Amino acid sequence: MAIDFKKEYLRWNLILLGLLIALFFTIIIAITIGSVGPIGSGVPERIPIQAVWDILFGKSSLWPDTYKTIIVDIRLPRILLAALVGCALAVSGAVMQGVFKNPMADPFIIGISSGAAVGASISILLGLSISIGIYSTPFLAFVGATLTIFGVYFIARSGGQVKVETLLLTGIAVGTFLVAITSFLMYMANEQFRFLFFWLLGGLYKASWGTIAIAFPLILLGTIIILFFARDLNAMILGEEPAMHLGIDIESVKKILLVFSSLVVGTAVAFSGIIGFVGLITPHIMRILVGPNHRILLPASALAGGIFLIWSDTIARTILSPTEIPVGIITAFCGAPFFVYLLQKSKKGRL
Amino acid sequence: MLLKILDLEFSYQSSKILNNVTFEVKSGEFLGVMGPNGSGKTTLLRCMSNVLSPQVGTVLIDSRDIQKLNRKEIARKIGVVPQTSNIDFAFTVAELVLMGRTPHLGRFDSYSTHDFEVVENAMKLTNILHLSERTFDEISGGEKQRVIIARALAQEPRILLLDEPTVHLDISCQFEILNLVKDLCEQEKIVVISVFHDLNLAGQYSDKLILLNRGKIVSMGLPDDVLTSENIQSIYQIETIIKKHPVTNVPYVIPCSFAKKDKKMKGPTVHVICGGGSGTPLMKLLLGNGFKVTSGVLNVIDSDFESARDLKIPVVGEIPFSQIANESHRANIELIKKAEFVVITDFPIGPGNLRNIEAAERALDFKIPVIIIESAPVSQRDFTQENLEKYFDRLKEKGAISVENLEGALKKVFT
Repeated sequence: MAIDFKKEYLRWNLILLGLLIALFFTIIIAITIGSVGPIGSGVPERIPIQAVWDILFGKSSLWPDTYKTIIVDIRLPRILLAALVGCALAVSGAVMQGVFKNPMADPFIIGISSGAAVGASISILLGLSISIGIYSTPFLAFVGATLTIFGVYFIARSGGQVKVETLLLTGIAVGTFLVAITSFLMYMANEQFRFLFFWLLGGLYKASWGTIAIAFPLILLGTIIILFFARDLNAMILGEEPAMHLGIDIESVKKILLVFSSLVVGTAVAFSGIIGFVGLITPHIMRILVGPNHRILLPASALAGGIFLIWSDTIARTILSPTEIPVGIITAFCGAPFFVYLLQKSKKGRL
Repeated sequence: MLLKILDLEFSYQSSKILNNVTFEVKSGEFLGVMGPNGSGKTTLLRCMSNVLSPQVGTVLIDSRDIQKLNRKEIARKIGVVPQTSNIDFAFTVAELVLMGRTPHLGRFDSYSTHDFEVVENAMKLTNILHLSERTFDEISGGEKQRVIIARALAQEPRILLLDEPTVHLDISCQFEILNLVKDLCEQEKIVVISVFHDLNLAGQYSDKLILLNRGKIVSMGLPDDVLTSENIQSIYQIETIIKKHPVTNVPYVIPCSFAKKDKKMKGPTVHVICGGGSGTPLMKLLLGNGFKVTSGVLNVIDSDFESARDLKIPVVGEIPFSQIANESHRANIELIKKAEFVVITDFPIGPGNLRNIEAAERALDFKIPVIIIESAPVSQRDFTQENLEKYFDRLKEKGAISVENLEGALKKVFT
């Protein structure tokens, strides 16, 4: 009896193809959803799907200019940012769960979110967006996130090694400390309080082609590099010592994975604030659907994270239209029950 | 292939875990490492797989220092099988074994046909091909261990390190796993180094043994030379009897911790006159109750003689199939003189051992009480062609007490 290894690859390729197609149609459909103009202006409530197709693929002259503006300048960047942020959160969630061998790990587990929050709080409280530039808040959030990760890493280091357990606990301690700072800053803030609160809840309303131009290369680069560490992650979730026995240089792999998942999460947080649940739940859902092998789990999570966040954001911006609610509420509200459903349904009932 | 460990020293903070450990193993050799908890066995394995770096000394694989190899190179030479593997994620068996190819692949390589062949072969050798699509949590403990061994084999190692690979398995799985490893060692000419807690498994499977204590090699060599009751006594502080396994003829360790008591025993001495195995239970019973025991005369192939020697009881021996010589008889009487009691068990008596009854009579002359165990009438075990009953009657006339069984004898001795 020979083992048919090729069959598995075929299955993986079909899964990825399916997810790519789903992502594509998610983008197209999400563009059509949402109100367009003031009621009574003669513009229909929804943009027809035909219009989206024509405008995206070069026949924009057939449709009114307002459509083009809404699609190309407003909705498309927002949806692409949702896809990028969802991808970043889901991939780094999978990485963190693998490195820490902990099903409760998420991209923010070692304090990246609290670091970003401190950076953003400082920027918002000092009004840097107005005095220096619109990218001050994302930039300071990114700096805060990165400094936190390296701080945690070096605090947890002893004798040239970083034990994952120590890293986890250090992350929680440092995170708690930083949350205290953010809470204090929020308490001190008056008129900026609402703004800061909104930032902390996360949202994609800041999307523009400018943000895409920065986020796209960073998140894509980080994700691709992480994908090449799938085999190392497979070995690492067996435990550090078994991974060493399989020839993995765990200290450098840990460092590389932390650096690049911090890069993608830091970028995502900088532009969209702290969006919970996507990074925690997407890898779990994918593990139930495609299995624990990171060679399929990582790319599948990346695509699924994007799809999940696009739909969540679409609901967030339309459900109480014309106001929008923080997308984190939707990701938690939809993601958690779906996760429980899958957990019940999966025959092993395990993660 | 030659694995050389030279003067290895390893410390955690200030406590030395390994000290001056030196040995070598060749291709196709099975080395067993034994020692009490905390003796440094696992640390030694970790140093050999370069998970830990020793402060002093070197590990040489074919005269190349392992410290100068990178982790991938090491993983292509050394496979490691831990006690148990907890894998919380639902990998299939085939996926897990495929992970064994990791050290042979570059970061951008994908698996080649050759990799799949090696994996399939490893699964065939370990007989897990039929499990390939099952997940790791669905299979039994013995199957799990075979999967881990298959994964190690997929690394195509020249050295296999095992850390008590069968400690959590039932007895049939233990043999299954160790037979498999032994076959691999002999057929594939792999160096096998395995840590054992079970001294008998170690003796049965290893070509060479190392006995560690407090980080030092206390004894090293063939199982016959290492598994001695002196070595085990000095390291584990338990009394043991070393027998030969009836089939494999390797040393077999039988712990008998009750024998430990007799060291401190100050109880009265009982001289046991016995033969044909009839004395063994009595000797153990007496020792267990705090008595000192002597025995004689026994011919040296009598099982009672072997027991007496194993139990470290002073005993007078005689050449098989011959009468008790004057010299032995005198030695026996010397022992009897030192005893507070003499017990005669119900053993067959013939011309060869009749003088022991005479010796018992001398005991009565010295006013030493004699107890005769008579569960069967004397006439039934009389091979003297004289009237044995006459001898016993004379003993009883002089004051010997007759009891029906062992417990009876013990009761008499106590009162």
